[in-house]
Amino acid sequence: MRKCKIFVGSSHPELGRLVCERLGVEPAPCTLKKFSNGETSVQIGVSIRDEDVYIIQSGSPEINDHIMELLILISACRGGSANKITAVIPQFPYSKQSKMKKHRGAITARMLANLLVMAGADHVVSMDLHASQMQGFFTKPVDNLFGAPTLARWIRHNIPDWESAVVVSKNPGGTKRVTALADSLKINFAMIHTDRRRTQDGYARRKALKNSFRKNDDDDDEEEDNIVSEIQTARIVQGHVVNDDYPVSNGTSNGIKDNSDSLDKTSILDSDVLGGSYDAANSDDEDEPTSINQEKLITLVGDVKDKVAIILDDMIDKPSSFIAAAEHLRLNCGAKAVYVVGTHGVFSDLCLEELTNSKCIDKIVVTNTYPIGRERMEKYKSKLTVIDVSPIFAECIRRDHFGESISVLFDSLAAIE
Amino acid sequence: MPATPNSIKLIGGNSHPELCEKVSKKLGLSLAKVGAFQYTNKETAVAVGESVRDEDVYIIQTGCGEQDINDFVMELLIIINACKIASARRITAVVPNFPYARQDKKDKSRAPITAKLMANLLQTAGCNHVITMDLHASQIQGFFRVPVDNLYAEPSVLRYITNNFDKKDLIIVSPDAGGAKRVASIADKLDVQFALIHKERQKANEVSRMVLVGDVSDKVCILIDDMADTCGTLCKAADILLDNGAQKVVAMVTHGIMSSNATEKLNNSKLDRIVCTNSLPLNDKLAQCPKLEVIDIAPTLAEAIRRLHNGESVSYLFNNIPE
Repeated sequence: MRKCKIFVGSSHPELGRLVCERLGVEPAPCTLKKFSNGETSVQIGVSIRDEDVYIIQSGSPEINDHIMELLILISACRGGSANKITAVIPQFPYSKQSKMKKHRGAITARMLANLLVMAGADHVVSMDLHASQMQGFFTKPVDNLFGAPTLARWIRHNIPDWESAVVVSKNPGGTKRVTALADSLKINFAMIHTDRRRTQDGYARRKALKNSFRKNDDDDDEEEDNIVSEIQTARIVQGHVVNDDYPVSNGTSNGIKDNSDSLDKTSILDSDVLGGSYDAANSDDEDEPTSINQEKLITLVGDVKDKVAIILDDMIDKPSSFIAAAEHLRLNCGAKAVYVVGTHGVFSDLCLEELTNSKCIDKIVVTNTYPIGRERMEKYKSKLTVIDVSPIFAECIRRDHFGESISVLFDSLAAIE
Repeated sequence: MPATPNSIKLIGGNSHPELCEKVSKKLGLSLAKVGAFQYTNKETAVAVGESVRDEDVYIIQTGCGEQDINDFVMELLIIINACKIASARRITAVVPNFPYARQDKKDKSRAPITAKLMANLLQTAGCNHVITMDLHASQIQGFFRVPVDNLYAEPSVLRYITNNFDKKDLIIVSPDAGGAKRVASIADKLDVQFALIHKERQKANEVSRMVLVGDVSDKVCILIDDMADTCGTLCKAADILLDNGAQKVVAMVTHGIMSSNATEKLNNSKLDRIVCTNSLPLNDKLAQCPKLEVIDIAPTLAEAIRRLHNGESVSYLFNNIPE
């Protein structure tokens, strides 16, 4: 490709190499290092005057360093008179902080969008943004590619009886993503809801109500039964599904302390000021530090009995909700197998280990938008499968450079096969 | 309608809690309840624990840490953005050591001007005013579209010199040609001689050959610079000064970055002592290096914040130290 340079940031060299290989070009030479005082240094080793520049940098565990590196790279290309600068960010960092969910919280995703544009990016390419509304944060064009076609193909080729499988959303916020995949595979979907506010009392009352329904059903209409039978409820304590007769934990375990005077970092989150507002936030994210200690109620809407359940989300970051959902599907709802499928395998901390150790999860499937590391991939290969999405990014770069439409990449993989 | 009076909200970042504490004590204000922490995936998150609506917000965050400097930059940006979204009236970033200040020119083909990028990042996040100290190049002030108050550690340095040395056999030395102006100004105010060392640099953080201009025989030399990073320059300068007959050599720098094995180098060097301001956290360095002394600049920052808030002139601080 003439008049085109591809720079690979240090966050995910593997993906960058694959994209360049696919395009049949060498990554443009640049030196990325750090000064002794920790400041990031960038040196571009080739002329970029009047060229199309693509910079591939994903999220990574050293996220802030790599954001600075990306910004400096963009700025250096701008200063070096590049014609057009495209930031290719397979996993957009800070995308979960895309709304003001607490009092006075920052909308960091929007700020990052502003920073990228300000540094000189003319175009941004990403995949499966946490919320597609984030495209509106940018004043420049954004191409949000989809990982779903790749995942759908993997499911078709690798899951036995995928025709009867059910795609499950582990929270109501992700239902749209789930229905899209279910539609493209033409299979059923289900939804899981975890409720933090309801207590044991509420659950007992509902249980009694359900029993009374059953009694009524014996001599009354059938319709009611049909609806009730598709809803499966269970309790979660300490992140695991328990039986109905598990002892009720007392109220002190919910971790909310009243020490709002202290400036301690964890307590500031638990303090009255912020603790209250977590509940007000939509519960589609799971970054609350207290959530794991609280007893919750998990509800499945839909039928997975003797079927393969595919739990789909855009990002696999923390394990607890996936494990709880898998246990519920497997133990209480009679699922035949449980696959955990996501686009971005962030796997912070011990996530991968905990998911692998869970007996209820059969396979974990992610794409390589986020660096996982050869060592970890090897260690957990019994359950972990990583799908390569570099052809999609390569094709997107090629089409963008030649001014072709990229909309075919949105709904099928035919274009790159 | 005249604007209703508002008050100062002081926010301390995680980079230098000790300095934040000192400034807040000097101002008689407690730090606002703001927490910056990291999620398990290492993204920085910020919680502003009290209202900042229509308040005058000052965020103290310095550029430091060999591992964390970019984390602290992101943290500062996110705190600024959180305050902006929470309708603060004015947001002032107090950045005693401005990060990336040395990458301030296109010294090679296609080199990034990262200091300019930093300026743009701060403004994009929503910063209305910047207070900093001894910028590596004062031209960085021009990178901003918002006002920048560049404070000087010079008054504090002057006081330290007059309190600790005899003016009679004193000479002020600049370790490189770029710092000559700074040194000349101090020498003028003290009414003493000054000398200059010229170094031929081949690569950043590496010093090759040095030439001394001026007479330092039997004098107490005070090396003055704006920052001490790897300290290679200072140690070599000390060698040259002593070779040329100096009595003893003392270094005074504003920003003691002291990266990698700087403390070790200082301990093995012929420098009599090194004096830094507390624009960066130095506690662990103090333990490693007995030659290190610290001047407190918190009063200057606190006074600048007070004056800025009350709309008083800041220029007083360029020549005086608040008591």
